[in-house]
This record gives sequence, structure tokens and C-alpha cells, in this order.
Amino acid sequence: MNRFGHMMILASAGSGKTYALTNRFVRLLALEVRPERIVALTFTRKAAGEFFDEILNKLARAAGEPEYARQLAGEIEVPALTAADFLRLLRTVAEAMHRLRLGTFDGFFARVARNFPLELGLAGEFEILQEHAARMERGRVLRRLFERAGELADAQKEFIEAFKRATFGADEKRLGAQLDRFIDQHQEMFLDAPDRELWGNAQRIWPEGNEWLAAVAQREPAAKALRAALEEAGLNEKQRPRWEAFFTELPDWQPGAPMGAGLEYLFKNALKAWPALAEITVERKKQALTPAASVALRMLLQAIIGAELARRLEITRGIYAVLSGYEAFYHDAVRRAGKLTFGDVERLLRPGGDGARVLSREAADENRLFIDFRLDAEIDHWLLDEFQDTSFGQWSVLRNLIDEAVQDSNGARSFFYVGDVKQAIFAWREGDPRLFREIFEQYNRVRPDTIAEEHLVKSYRSGPPVIAMVNAVFGASQVISDLFPGAAATAWNREWHPHETAKPELGGQVALLQGAHSTGSGQEDEAGRFATALQLLQEIEPLERGLTCALLVQKNDTAARLADYLRREGGLPAVAESDLHVGTDNPLGAALLALVKAAAHPGDTQAHGHLQMTPLGALLAAEGLTEREELTRRVLGQIHAEGFERTMDAWLRKLEPRLSPDDTFSRERARQFTAAAGRFDASGSREVAEFIQFMERHTVREADTAAVVRVMTVHKAKGLGFDLVILPDLEGTKLDGRRERLAVQRAADRSVEWVFDLPGKIFAEQDAVLSAHVREAEADACYENLSLLYVAMTRAKRAMYLITKPPGPSTSRNFPKLLAETLGEEGATVRVGKLELAGSFAKGDADWHKSITVAVPESKGEPETGRLNPAAVRKSTRFPPRRPSEEKAGAVEAGRIFSLEGRGGADFGTAVHELFADVEWVGEGGADKFAAAWRARSAASETGPGEAIEEVLACLHAPELAAVWARPTGAAGVEVWRERAFEVVLDGAWVTGVFDRVVVERDITGRAVRATVFDFKTDRLEDDGEAVSLQRHAKQLELYRRATAVLAGLAVTAVTCELVLTRWRRLVNVPGPAAKF
Amino acid sequence: MVPPPANVRRHFLSWDQPLLSQAVAFLAGGWSGGTPLDLSAVMVVVPTRQSGRRLREAIAGHAAAQGQAAFPPRVLSPDRLIAPDSGAGTASRLESLLAWTEIFRGLDLTDFRQVFPVDPPARNFAWALRLAQEFARLQGTLAEAGLRLADVPAKAGADFSEAERWRQIAGLEQLHADKLTALGLRDAQAAKMERAGTPVLPDGIRRIVVLGTPDPLPLALQVLAAHAQAVPVEVVVFAPVAEAVAFDGWGRPLSATWARRELELPEFERRVQLCADPSAQAERVVATARGYDEAEGMLGVGAADPEVLPLLETGLRHAGLASFNPEGRTRHGDGLFQLLAALAGLAREDSFTAVETLARCPDFQEFLRARCSDGFSAAQFLAELDELHAEHLPPDLAEARRHAPDSAELAAVAELRTTLTTGAFPANAAAALGTIFTGRQYDSARPADALAAEAAEAWTDVMRETGAAAARFGGVTIAEWWDVALRLYSEGTRTDEKPAGAVELQGWLELLWEDAPHLVVAGMNDGQVPDAVVGDAFLPESLRERLGLKTNAARFARDAYLLQALAACRRQGGRLDLLLGKTSAAGDPLRPSRLLLACAEAELPRRIKFLFRPAEAARPNPPWRRAWQLEPPRVAPPARVAVTALRAWLECPFRFYLAQVLRLEAVDPAKTELDARDFGTLCHAALEAMGREPALRDCTDAGTLREFLLAALATEAARRFGPELTLPLIVQFESARQRLTRAAEVQARTRAEGWVIEAVERKFVLDVGGLAVSGKIDRIDRHEGTGAIRVLDYKTSDTPAQPWAAHLRPVRRDELVPEFARFAAEGREQVWSDLQLPLYLRALAAEFPGEITGGYFNLPKAASETGIALWDDYTRELAESAWRCAVGVAAAIRAGEFWPPNENIRADYDPFATLFHHGVAASVAWKEGES
Repeated sequence: MNRFGHMMILASAGSGKTYALTNRFVRLLALEVRPERIVALTFTRKAAGEFFDEILNKLARAAGEPEYARQLAGEIEVPALTAADFLRLLRTVAEAMHRLRLGTFDGFFARVARNFPLELGLAGEFEILQEHAARMERGRVLRRLFERAGELADAQKEFIEAFKRATFGADEKRLGAQLDRFIDQHQEMFLDAPDRELWGNAQRIWPEGNEWLAAVAQREPAAKALRAALEEAGLNEKQRPRWEAFFTELPDWQPGAPMGAGLEYLFKNALKAWPALAEITVERKKQALTPAASVALRMLLQAIIGAELARRLEITRGIYAVLSGYEAFYHDAVRRAGKLTFGDVERLLRPGGDGARVLSREAADENRLFIDFRLDAEIDHWLLDEFQDTSFGQWSVLRNLIDEAVQDSNGARSFFYVGDVKQAIFAWREGDPRLFREIFEQYNRVRPDTIAEEHLVKSYRSGPPVIAMVNAVFGASQVISDLFPGAAATAWNREWHPHETAKPELGGQVALLQGAHSTGSGQEDEAGRFATALQLLQEIEPLERGLTCALLVQKNDTAARLADYLRREGGLPAVAESDLHVGTDNPLGAALLALVKAAAHPGDTQAHGHLQMTPLGALLAAEGLTEREELTRRVLGQIHAEGFERTMDAWLRKLEPRLSPDDTFSRERARQFTAAAGRFDASGSREVAEFIQFMERHTVREADTAAVVRVMTVHKAKGLGFDLVILPDLEGTKLDGRRERLAVQRAADRSVEWVFDLPGKIFAEQDAVLSAHVREAEADACYENLSLLYVAMTRAKRAMYLITKPPGPSTSRNFPKLLAETLGEEGATVRVGKLELAGSFAKGDADWHKSITVAVPESKGEPETGRLNPAAVRKSTRFPPRRPSEEKAGAVEAGRIFSLEGRGGADFGTAVHELFADVEWVGEGGADKFAAAWRARSAASETGPGEAIEEVLACLHAPELAAVWARPTGAAGVEVWRERAFEVVLDGAWVTGVFDRVVVERDITGRAVRATVFDFKTDRLEDDGEAVSLQRHAKQLELYRRATAVLAGLAVTAVTCELVLTRWRRLVNVPGPAAKF
Repeated sequence: MVPPPANVRRHFLSWDQPLLSQAVAFLAGGWSGGTPLDLSAVMVVVPTRQSGRRLREAIAGHAAAQGQAAFPPRVLSPDRLIAPDSGAGTASRLESLLAWTEIFRGLDLTDFRQVFPVDPPARNFAWALRLAQEFARLQGTLAEAGLRLADVPAKAGADFSEAERWRQIAGLEQLHADKLTALGLRDAQAAKMERAGTPVLPDGIRRIVVLGTPDPLPLALQVLAAHAQAVPVEVVVFAPVAEAVAFDGWGRPLSATWARRELELPEFERRVQLCADPSAQAERVVATARGYDEAEGMLGVGAADPEVLPLLETGLRHAGLASFNPEGRTRHGDGLFQLLAALAGLAREDSFTAVETLARCPDFQEFLRARCSDGFSAAQFLAELDELHAEHLPPDLAEARRHAPDSAELAAVAELRTTLTTGAFPANAAAALGTIFTGRQYDSARPADALAAEAAEAWTDVMRETGAAAARFGGVTIAEWWDVALRLYSEGTRTDEKPAGAVELQGWLELLWEDAPHLVVAGMNDGQVPDAVVGDAFLPESLRERLGLKTNAARFARDAYLLQALAACRRQGGRLDLLLGKTSAAGDPLRPSRLLLACAEAELPRRIKFLFRPAEAARPNPPWRRAWQLEPPRVAPPARVAVTALRAWLECPFRFYLAQVLRLEAVDPAKTELDARDFGTLCHAALEAMGREPALRDCTDAGTLREFLLAALATEAARRFGPELTLPLIVQFESARQRLTRAAEVQARTRAEGWVIEAVERKFVLDVGGLAVSGKIDRIDRHEGTGAIRVLDYKTSDTPAQPWAAHLRPVRRDELVPEFARFAAEGREQVWSDLQLPLYLRALAAEFPGEITGGYFNLPKAASETGIALWDDYTRELAESAWRCAVGVAAAIRAGEFWPPNENIRADYDPFATLFHHGVAASVAWKEGES
């Protein structure tokens, strides 16, 4: 028996999924599991962070409150634990923090991949491509793919052919745009099913054969026969034009393209009479068909359907070829260069592919990636969150590791997964809710009761009215079955358990309301629903009462529209929690982008004109940038030298005074703009066009703030709870509408059986295989939509208002229909406070909000930034630095710096200085005594400074320079500093430097009486004369003079400075301050 | 681990004062001030370059306090102590990498299956180079502890699970060493270790002091241990003597002691501040800095999380405070890097994109300015490039030059490209740069020039290094050399001079030497302080432990000690603030540093609750607000417009004003294929040629017509886009060919029906209420039987246009439509949206007094829909209404009426969308009636 227990938890909304997960973690700790041996994975980084916080806070509370410790110990079924034990566990977790594995699937996979690069065919480190970078890469790959040199490469020819096939009938003339769409729509699919055989392959789709395809060739003869048969039977006046149109359009019709109206009319009507085809409705009258006409029409219909299917197969193969052509380029240019998306990483780790390996804790097998050692991990326990959103790909990466845990004979490992299949709203990004039960059944089939099942149905979030409404809608199994016959309803009803509330005391209200004036067009209808929402907010005043409040909608742009409406019409602080395009959603950002665009593209009259209409226009004039040339020079120069962040920041600072003093919004956007520019700079690019693209795509999620009306999509609201929830956007098309994309048929093990660009419904319905696929896809869509409504309706704690247009006689199987069928449609008046609204269902207290005490926000004040009193502490002393070597003045020829020979000068100079440092005095024996040693040393090294030696010797021999190395005779003592570093503070500045040679003469008492600074200059520039040298080095020598004066304890006037120009063997005196007098 | 020899002595400095002043006092011990402070016989080891800089500055200050100056000690960091001999015979880092690269490219991977279990997808230079870097990193890490790759299997112990893999890695290392030997080179890491075994004490050094260095490299300790045989080595630990047991003989904090030690952090909940994200942290630091009149010397700032650093710099700059990052910044951000990358691009390929990138480099523009004696304008050159791009989509430089044969600038680019691709790298690169910078002067006195000169020198050093390597390594292409060289260059750093009074922004390891009384450290998050290695492809923690490399426990001990020292030395009169973030800039959750949990057990729950609470959002989200309204200048309306302009006015008078009056037009740098207008123009050109060809006047053979049209299209395509079309153009021409093929059939049929082309591209000017309206009629047909005339306009939009639907649309509810634009038809109110055909008919009325019909010759996407759509029911009422509308529009244009704008144009169809936010009218401060 496994003492930890494997567990599957199906947790309804608000029933404490995180609570269960954190309790599980604590339980494992309590059973003496080392925290680093537990892996807990979820989907968002935010959730992972909250999960960790909650574990620590739970332990901390238990460590500090004995009562709570007892409660927690009971909950985790380790009742003996005391507060002291929890404190110990807390310390254990705190110390292991850096080794913990609580995070996201993506993060975990990336970490594994980083530790096995060579095993996965990578070359070391890889970079994770975020969305913008991935787009940029795509752009670059497409450009490469489009380029050509000389004859088209075969790959390119194939690509064009493929593109033509993929866009049959559409005659697509924009390759770039179309390709971009293709990649968006199909790339993941391609990567999941890269085998050519799976795409548009009739044998795979119809292994038993396909009667339609066999009939393609019959089209023309059948048409001819039909025409003849009809003529023979005779047509009346109403029928004739219909058939004429049919026969006229028939030859023009291209399979894959839409049918002409005349062709479609009879085609559809004929299919209605299929398969008997004894008669056909034409102009609302039945037209009997002769047997010959019937046979011919049957053949023709078969041929048409066959032609359509054949074309679709070809299109599918075309799409495959286009994608594989693109992918080949992309793979070469991007992935091989070590740039991977999270999806790429996951695919690398999936078993089953070429050379793919299985993650394992068992070290033995060659085809396994033994993770214990490389990850510094021995993972025994798996906790997976939001399991309904796990994709099959993700599961297949972890599967072996979890198998090992579940099958561990010692019972030392465990598996725990939690989620809610009723909240499976991420099927569109491969979330696979069916896995939940499949895994359970699979393990339990092998060994019954391996995994225990637990249902959490008690909501700790919602009060009685909300729960009542949720039960009324989602527990109406009969209604659901009637509305959505088939798999979706069956699955939904099977998983449904009536909900309860853990907070019976929580007062509130729920109602199904009609939007104001719900009679007009779609737009007016929306306005009515928005208006009702606003009325509710104005009545309830949630923010004033300290209630949290959200309006949930289906799409981001609806969120933006609604938030805008609430702000504009109601003056409410509403925030659309969609991702904000901070670079472009406001005039300030738009103007800055116009500025860079105008600079980089001077012919862009729009950008220039735009600037002129903004305060930047006046600013540019004030800066003297009225001419395009100047603007281009200045702004491009800035960008190249300093990057976008600093450039934008500099302009924003100039613009700042032109913003209204209370315009905090634009200032915030300015800050976000520069921050985004900084992120772009990090990419290293200075391309204006790329920057603009980046800024156009860059989004920022607004930080959570309490005191606003939050408007967001249902998807974003998942996991959140609010006191008040309004759902004003439940309209829409039918719930079981299949998503428009390539049809992918998967086997039970999720392997792809075939991919097909499904023809229109009218064709697909005729074929058993295809219609079965469509039904399945519709059931999936329907289930996902039910989940979406469930998520939306389970966010509320106290009150929830659904605002729809009553469906009336409409038979659309959409949300309003479901609500009307489950909650009723009878017109009634619903009171909410003093509002009287049209609606049909209400529960709870119409005055619920009035009883809520108006919250007084806690005054937080400014956080303490505090400072020390400068008078009371010892300040650290700092000096501005000055380097004598940097005091050089004058110009350098820029072109020469890039010369590969130029460095010789510097190396030569260094060598000369090193040699001079050897010489204290020349004195007796002359210079030759150095020569031998130097030459010997030079010979020992290959690249010795032969030239330098000759130059130094020449200097030592030169009569003009004799004074430099001649020991002064008049002094009692003489000291020489050679290549000597010094540090001194002069005029409050810190001067640091190295003397070449200083001769200090001392009197008999040892006091310095005079000093001479010699500075060696090896400059070889032909055009440098003495005067130029003097001018260039005067400042530097002046610093040496003063430093020497301090070090030797001399007056400045007692220090002489001489430039030793080695090339010309000249000694040049640098006049000091005394000389000026 | 090297135990210190007996003659290494430890000294302890108390936490009553900052380290820096005590360190100086320790070094200057015994100096009376009468003579220069001469420390030139002392070698001082400090942890980093910046700490060395601070020490020398403080020594200068110390001497200055006595009116003196100093001969400083020889100050260096542990890594300098073991720096390999860069002299001849030792492989440079580049040479070492290239040796690895050659090995990996030529390797039989099956001999090394433990290292390469699978074959990589491609064994090219880039793959090999990236792998080379990985192995170089590995060598470097092991060398810090005096180990070679070959030492690992033995050191790791008998039960080491990856022993065989490492034996193969050792084999690779041997190949590497052999390769270098064959080239007459020694491996630098090996040389380093060799030198460390028998280190040479620099001349004149009589004393070594290891000062405030809690984390010296093991190999450096080996050197110091050797020196200790010759001269006294003193290890100075910044900790009170009572703490002696917490440190080893080299002054390193002992892991066992510091792992569980309670750190004294006074006023914890006031001094530790949890912030939402990096910006919130930066704001807090800036607010603190602003609290001081003079922050320098009072306030020290540490940024343990590099993400906070740029935000701090920006924040301080905004507050008017200078900042200084002693770490410097990488050369990746240099202006020169951009030029070099552009040149590399051009060297790699002569694509037009590469030309455009180079053209936007200011240094290159300077070069053109100097070169083009008859005046160069960067703005004009760039605009010309954009025009070339828009008009001809040239794939490469040659094609661009074909369209702009006189462009001196493009000629210069071509010459440069020749230079870049002739001969060998780096000589060709140096030559190209020499050319570009010829005649330019850098004035040392100008900071910008000085920086540019320094960057140029750094690059030239890289070129020299590459040149030296190139002499030994063949088989590397010019483009690959550029890649390598750019990588080397961009890894270098530049350190600007510290501005006077600047707040220094230091990394965590620098802070021990910071002596400002008030210290704020941002980024106190786990993973930053202490940092930790968890998992590694080669050296996971468990192996590091076995090999004696730096472990997480040692990092923790070091950082715990550092934090304690930072806090303790400010206990009296000072202040230490620690900031930590709840999330990163990207929103990833962060955890507090484990060091902040180093407290008494009883205190732990409280700490946890304090540190793991939700952070409050630093900033409330302000509601959307408009910074300003656009103020379009009012200029006089034009006296002449095109027929199409009337449609534009009808669609939106304000956008008409922007497009037709202010003449605003955007450049699309991302254009890779024909837009709708280009596509139409191309088809038109072929159809026009057909109309002008007398030989085809009576042709009713679709084949002949098709051949002509396709030939005309091909000619036009070649003229405009050259002989080699890019893929998108091929696809688009294919589409045009299909449409023209179908059009040929329609034309043949139409001619057979008796219609003869009378005229093509007929120009006209109409006086519409005083406004000259000009147009060009695609084609006029006359029926040879009836003499009837019809006017046709070619349409190449994807769906076929119907004249009525294209000219009139239903009025939208609540829409304000000028009276003149309305037309009531069969009881339903319509509004004119276009006036093209009515004006064509009007313009021709005098010339063809009989009945004229107007219509479209549609060449749509669906071949079956190609054909002529005539406006059969064009009545007199319609004609009159259209004219009324034209006169109305003309009057409005003349009167400067360009308001209100149309709010119903979808952003993706609105060329001016970027100008508007939350409504067009709301975005613009339109001044009615001004001009």
C-alpha cells in the first residue's frame, strides 16, 4: 500500500483546488518527504507563485497558531502534528526554496531541455523565443524564403506549386499575407503531424474506399445525359431558367471554390432528395424525375462531390507542402541557431519521434534521459494542477516519470492531479479534458483502486443564490440533452454533481435580465445590454461599498468597448484587463513612433505631418529640426549612439512640460514606452522598422488593482472570484459550431490519423466518415462552450446578473437559449434595489447590497523612504577622478584607428617604456651595457621588440638626451622614480597616473630641492611637430608636475618637466607656472 | 581546497566602521604623514576591479588628509592573480574556440556517443562554435579550481554515474590540446594552471594583503600559498575578531557556520520593503536618493537583480540625478556595433535589406557626405531607397542599381561591398572601415569622440586577434569570421567615466566596499542573493561538490556573511534598506532571498507572513486620457483633383484632407509584394498595350489576345522588377496571368459581339463648379453595328464590382449626409459613395452625343466572374443626381469643408489609423473655416 496515496480530485469551481493542492504538499512534507522531491506544475507563472505563497503562509500560520495547527493536521490526515512540527516543516521548505520545483509545465520542460542539450540534438544553451521575437524570426525566414539568386531553387519551385495547390480556387495573390495566416493557423498542426502521409490522403481517410472519388470522371457525361433526359421529359417555364442556370454554371465551377447561385440551388435541392432522387423541388414545386434523369443526376452529384473532395485533398497536400517548405527554412535558420519556443521544447522532449528519448528516474536504459543527476533531483511526487488543460503532448513528456511513480513497488512515490473538466476552456490550445478520466481508468484497470477519486463540490466562493442559479442551469440534464443531443451532453451530465455552498450566510442576488431595448439590431442590442450593466453598477455602487466587481465578456475588443462605455457614460473607473498596447494606444506613443519613422523614412509624409500636428512639431522647431535632413541626422544619430530607450526618454523629457500637469495617464504611458524601448534595445537591434513593429505588438497587462470595475474575458477570469459579476455578453452563434480549421482526426491514443481541409458542410454531410468527424468536432466545441459559461457563472461570490436578449422563437442553440430553457423566459420584473428591470429569473435579496457596510479604505500613506541626517553621520569621501593620460588634447585621424598596423605604435610605445624603465643611469660603460641584455632577452622571445631596442639605444646614445640619464652632480642625494604609479588629490580631484621617469634631487638633510619629470613620447606621426606635441601633452605634464611637487614636498616651481621625443631624440621643456612670470 | 600555510596570518577588522577606511588604515599602519605614503612594495588582493578602484581612491584621500600623496600598492583581483600569460605561444580565447570548432566539425561522433548520444540536425560552423563556447566555459569553470576536464572522472569518485561520459570529454580535451600543440600554441587554461603552480612574485613586492575578499578563486589561493613561502601574506577579514571561528584561514565564511546563523537585521519590517515589480523597486530607490541634497557619499545603491538596473538609471536620470554603473555596459549597444553589424550583413549578402540597414547608419551617412562632393542629403538618400523599395521591390543591390543607375550612393555601397568581399578577413574589413572613416577626426576633448575612438580601438583589437587566429585556422568563411568577430566585440564592455556626484549603482558583490552610511539594496530575491545553480548539463551541484567547485552552500555562506557585514557596519548611525520584488518585469513571481529568513525559529512564521504577503500595486492604473488633440494645419484646398478624390471625400472629408490636401502618405518598409494598387497598375499596363495595338483591333481569337497580354505583362514586369522575380511576385504574376488569360477570352467575345476599342487612357478635365476634376478613362468602346459607345474601367479587385453597388450605398441610420449626396431610389434613400462613371460619362457627353453606357471590365479572383458589368439602368435622374453630388463635393472642397470625419472606417482599412485614438473627431482639434 502506498502510504501517500495516488489521488485524482475533480474540484468544482470555488471548491478549493489550490487549497487541496497545498494541503497535499503539506501532507507530503508531514510524511517526511524532502520538499525538493516534489514537483508541482501548473499553467501560469502567477498561479505557481500564489501556490508557493499559500504553502508557506499555511505552514507559518500553523506554526504560530496551535488551534489552526490542529485543524490543518486533521485535514492532511497526519493528526499528531503540532505547531512545533509545522515550524520545523516551515524551516525545511524555506531552506530548500532554491531547490523547489513549483512552477509551470513550460518552465519545467525548459529546465530539463537545458540540462540535456546534446542528448536532444542541440548545441548547448538555447534561447526561448517570446512572441515578438518569434514573429521577427518568422518575418526573417519568410524574407529568406522569398529571396532568390538566379534560377529558382527546386525547393522554391516546389513551394510555389504547393502554394498554388493550397490556394486553389482562391487565386490568392498576396503570398506574404496568406503565408502568415497559414502559419498562424496550421503550424502547430504541422509540427504535431509532420508526416506527409497524414495530409490529404484518401486511403487514410477512407480506408474502405470512397464512392464519390470514384465518380469524378463522370461529370461531363452525366451532365450531358441529364440535360438530354430533362429535355426529353420536358420542363415547364419556371423550371427551365433554373436548369439553364445550372447547366451554364456547371462547367465554370471550380471545385474548392464557391458555387454559383444557380448551380448551388439545384445541387442543394437534389441532395435533399438523395438517395432516391425520384423527384426534386424546383421553385417550391416538386419536379418528378424520369429514371434516366434520376440516374444521370445521381452520377452528376457524385461527380461533383467527388471533384470537391478530390480538390480538397489536393489543397490539403498543398498546405502540407507549403508548411513543410517554410518549416525547412525555419528549422534551419531559427531552431538550429538555438532559438526555441516553449512548444519546440515540449516537442523535443516528447517520446516517439526520431531519436526521441524518455525522461526517466531510472538510470539504466540508453534511450532514457536520466534526470536525477543532471537536475540535482530525485523526483518522487507529482502534483499536477488544472489537469483539464493539460495537453496530450505535455502528458506524454511526463507520462513515463509518472508511470514510474505510480508503479513504484516501494510505494515511496505518488501522483496527485486536480482540476475541473467543467472548466475545460483551453481546448483550442490543445487542452485535453478527456485525459483526466482516461488516466484514472488506465491505472485502475491494471490495479484497481490505484488512484483514489474525490469530488469537491462545496463552493467556498459563492453564496446560496449564485449556487442555486448554477445548479439550475448546469444541472438541467434533460434540457442539456435535448438541446445538445450527443456526446457533449452525455459527457457534461456524467461529470455534473450538484453544487453546494460552504457559505450559506453570504447574502446576494442573481438574475437573468433583458438588455434595455432588446429589440433592435446587433449593435443596438449590445448598447442595451451595456446600458443595463451600467444601471446595475450605478445602483449597487460596488466600489463605494468595498466590493470587488467584474464584467465578463467573450472577446478582448468587447472588453475594451465596454470599459470605454462605462468610463464615458458612467464616469466609472473601469479597466479593460486585456493586454494593453501601451506603445500605440495613446497619442503620445503614436507621436513618438511617428518621430522615429520620420527620421528613418524621410519620405514618409504621413509621419512628418503627424508630428507637425502634435506638440512635438513645435518642439522640433525649437530644436532647430525643421528640415528633414536635420531630423534624420539627429534622431538616427541618437538611436545609433544610445539606443531607443535613451533616445525616446530624452524626447519624452522634452515633451513632459507640454503635458497637462494632472495627466498621470500619459506620464504612465511614457514610462511604459521607455521601459518597452529598453526591452527592445536588449535585442541589440537599432532598426527603426523593427522597433515600430515591436512597439505595435508590445502589450502590458495592467497590474491588479482593487478599486476598479474590472472588465475582462471569461478566459482571463478563470481562477478569480468577485463579489459582483455581470455577464452582459452572452450572445453569439450556436454552441456546437465547429471551429473553422483543418480537420484533424485522431485515434484514441491521440495519434493523428488524417488531416483534411474539410469541404463545406453540404459536401461533408454526404460522407459518413466526414460527417462523423464533424459531429465529433461539434460535440467538442459544444462541451467547451458549456465550460465557458460554467466558468463565467461561477466567478461570483454574492451577486450575478446575466443580461441577454431573450431568444424568443429562435432555435439557435446558443447561451441565451440555454438560459431561457433552464431559467425561464417568461417576462417578469426583477427588482435590484430601486431599479425595476425586465427579466425572467431572480433569486436572493434585491437589496443585498444595501446591507453591506460602506468600507472605509485603509489609509496607507506613502511608504517610508527615510533618510539619514547628513550632519549626524560620517559621509563617505568621494573625489571626481582625473587621469593625466586622458588630458591629451587634439584630434586623431579616425580612419587610422582601424588600421591593422596602427597598434604597432602602441605596442612599440609600451616596449620602449619598459626598456627605459630598466635604465637608472647610463653613466660608466655607456648605453652598451644594456644592449647585450636586451638583445639576449629579445632573442628568447619570438616577437621581441627589436625595433624598440634600437630606438632606446639610439636615445641613450643621443647627445641631446644625455641629460635624461646623467646622474645630477650637484645634489647630495638623488632618487629616480621609474614607471612609478602615484595617487594624489589635486583641486579636490583624484589624480592617478604613472610617471615615466622622475629625478628628485635632495640636499644633505634629505630634503628635496628640485625634481625633473621626464615623459617619453614615441609618437611617430610625420606631421607632428614639436609645437603640436607640446600642445597635446601640456596638460598632462602639468598634472605630473603638481603630483611630483606633492610627493617630493617641493614647490611647483621647483619641478621641471621635459618631454622626451624619442623619435627625434629631442628634449622639449614644458614651461611651468614660473615661466609665466 | 588549499589550506593556508602557517605563515598566512589573519587580521580582523571590526564592524564599528566601514571596511574601506579600516582597510586603508590597516595598509597605512605606521605611516606618519611626513613623506609620501609609499605602499609600492605591497600587493593587495581585493574582490573586484571596482573595490580596487575604491581602495586606491581612499588611499589618495588618506594621504591627502596629511597634505601628501601616495605610491599605491599593486592592487588586483583574484582572477588577475591567475590571469594566463597573454604572450606569444598561448592560445587566445578565440584560438581556443576555433580549435574546438575544428574538432567538432571533423569529429566522428560515433566515437563519442556518451557525449553526443544523437547526431545534431546540422554540423555547421554555427553549431560547432556554440558547442565550442560550451566547452570553453566548462574548461574555465574547472580551471578556477585548478582542474582539467580529464581530472573529473577520477575526482568524482568511483560511484560517479557519468564517468564514461567524462572520459570521452577528456578525450575531446586531449584532441583540443593536440590541435593547439600542432599549431604551436598552448591552451590558456592549462598555462594558467601551470603558472599557478610556480607563480612568479613581481619585482619589489615584499608583502601581500588579501583584503575583504570572502570568495577568492581556489586557483588564486594556490598562487597565494606559493607566494607565502617568500613573503608574508596577510588575510584581512571584515568581521570582529570574535567572529574568527566563522571563517577559514583564507577569510572565507564557513558554510557550516553561516548556513544556520541568525542574521541581525535591525528594524526588519521597516527596512525590508516588498515591492510589486522592478519599476516599483526603482521608484523607491529614486525616492530615497531624492531625499538627499547630495546623495553622493551619503547613499550607496546596490542592485542585486540586473533587471532593476536600467530602470534605476532611467529613474535617477528623470530625477535629475547622475548615476554610474561601474560594471560598464557591453559593446553590443555601441553605435559602432550597429555599423559593424550592417557591414557584416553586406559582406554576407548584397541584399537590398542589407543596403537599407547600412544606409541608416549615421557613420555611413557621414562617409557618403564626405564622398559625394555635389552635396549629399541623408534624408533624400533614404527617401530614394524607400521609393525604390516601394516601386521595384529590388531583391539585391544590383537590381536596385539597375533602377537607379546614377546613384552615387549606391555606387559607393557597391564599392564597399567589393572591398568587403575581396581578400581575407580582417584585412578587407579594416580596409572598408578605413574607407568609411577616411578624413574623419576624433577630437579627444569631445566625450562622444573619445568614446567613438575607444570603441574603434576595441574593434581594431578584435580584428587583430581575429587576424592572428585566421593565420592558423582555415575553412572559415568571411561571413563566419564576421560572426565570430562581432561576438567577441559585443562581449567586451565599456566603462564610462564616473560623472561628478553620480550615484554609483553596484552589484551585490561590490557592496562590502561601499562605505556610504545609507545603503539601499534592490533585488533581494532568491536566485539573485544568494544565487544558486540547480541542475546543469555538465556540472550539476552534486558533481560540483565532488570536484570541490563552488557550491550553493558556499554561495549562501558568502552572501549571508556579506549581508550581515553590510548591516552590522551601519548599526551605528547608518541605515540599510533592502528591497525585493514580488514579480519580475515580465510578471514572473519572485521569491524573497533566503537570507531574509535567517532568523530565530520563533520569528520565522512572522517573517514568512511578512515576506510572502501580496505586494500592493505600486501605481494605481490611471484611466485612459488623451495627451493632446492633433492640430492639423489648415492649408488652401487644391484647385484640381482627380475623379477618385471625390470618392475619398465622400467616404471621409477629413481623411480626404489629410491625403489630398496635406498629401500625407506613409511608407511601408515591410512591403514584400505588390499591393492592390500595384497589382492593378500591372494588369492595366498590359490591357492598355492591347488597346493601343492596332493589329489587335479586330482580333477575336482569345489565344492571340492572351499571348499579347501575357507578353505585355512580362515586359512590364521585367521593366519594373527585373528579370528575377521573388517568390511572392512570381505568385502574384501568376495571378495576373490567369486574370489576363480570362480577360483575353472576354475581349475576344466582346469583339465578336461587335465592340471595337475606340480609345484607351483618354484623359479629361471637367470643370465641376469651379473645381477642375481630372481623370483618365481606361477604355472607350464603340459598337461597330449600332455605333453605341461604352466607357469601361478595368477593375482588379478580388470580387467583381457592380456599377450601382460601387457608386451608391444605403444611408446608415443616424448618418449625417449632405443633401447633395442623397439619392432616393424606389423609396429607399441612397447615398453616393463614388462618382467615377457618372463623371466619365459627363466628360464624354460632348464628344459622343448619343447614348453612352458606363461599366466595369472586371478581372476578379474567380475566373468565372471575369467579364463586363455595365450600368444598364443608369437613368437621367441618376446622372443629374450624380452631377449635383459632384458639384456639392466640389463646392465643399473649395470651401474647405473637411469635417466631420467618418467614424465607421475599420482601423485595418484606414491608412491614418495610427493618428486616431478613441474616435477620429475626438482625436482632432479641427478648426472650422480656417485656412
